[in-house]
Amino acid sequence: MRTFVPEGAAYVAHLEAPERAVLLDVVDDVIGLVEDRAARRARGRGADDPLAAVQLTPGPLPEPTDPALLRLLPPASADAEVAAEFRRLTEGDLRRSKSDQLLRLRACVDAAGPDLVVVPSEAPRIAAALTDVRLVASERLGLRSDEEADALYRLVLGGQDTAAPDDETESEQAHRLLATVYVMLSLLQESLVDLMLAGLPGGADGDADDTPEPGAAPEPPAGPR
Amino acid sequence: MSTVPAEDVRVDDARLADGWTTVVWNDPVNLMSYVTWVFRSYFGYSQDKAHRLMLQVHQEGRATVSRGNREQMEVDVQAMHGFGLWATVQPAEG
Repeated sequence: MRTFVPEGAAYVAHLEAPERAVLLDVVDDVIGLVEDRAARRARGRGADDPLAAVQLTPGPLPEPTDPALLRLLPPASADAEVAAEFRRLTEGDLRRSKSDQLLRLRACVDAAGPDLVVVPSEAPRIAAALTDVRLVASERLGLRSDEEADALYRLVLGGQDTAAPDDETESEQAHRLLATVYVMLSLLQESLVDLMLAGLPGGADGDADDTPEPGAAPEPPAGPR
Repeated sequence: MSTVPAEDVRVDDARLADGWTTVVWNDPVNLMSYVTWVFRSYFGYSQDKAHRLMLQVHQEGRATVSRGNREQMEVDVQAMHGFGLWATVQPAEG
């Protein structure tokens, strides 16, 4: 893999064929996770099923039980009632925009041979999709703190963990592969975001209008952690 | 003379009053550069201010990134969730 560098008018990274294949698998998993209930229902049923096309007035939506999906669709308030109302009104839109971003990322990865090409106008959506895939991967890897994330980078980039031990179980192998993918996605995102920052008006040290400093934040909500 | 149900008026006032904030929470996944980019590109903050808020999230676990009425804050929170940042809408203190 080579991380993103500017080439002409685009940002270009390189993916080897096995990297591309494993990234597509992981991105597909996340797309399956965020596709909203209506989309899944519409696809699962025949086109002649009248219920498939009906957009019901949204009723209350339960919080996702999968902690990885909860990272993508987190509670918007410590107040359970406010959070539930927010979820009812916004979750469908949020799932659709995330699904759209992920499909754009998938298309870029799918077309990589080995050039992974992102045009600057698409870069924010690609970066957001990379975030969502990393959020899901981190949850599956059990990363709970900045320290654990740092340790994972050191492990994968240090290379101690790249050779599979003889007695490695299937789940250990899956974990090791996912850890490698997580670091790969992080390197891709970091290099892409550096270029995005440089592309903002004023560049990486840019100075837009400042606004008054916000004050102290109130109490933390009961979150997914 | 008629009266408007007092409850409804209060709810409306509360939603439109500038007493609300958007708070962004730390997580072990989001890159410092990405969070800075989100604060710059979405809120239009300067590099200095975006960087300062990002560090506050990273070091203190959270930062208030915008203030306004509740509906505006709900728009900001939804946008943050779209970017993959965890944000909540909260009444301002004091």
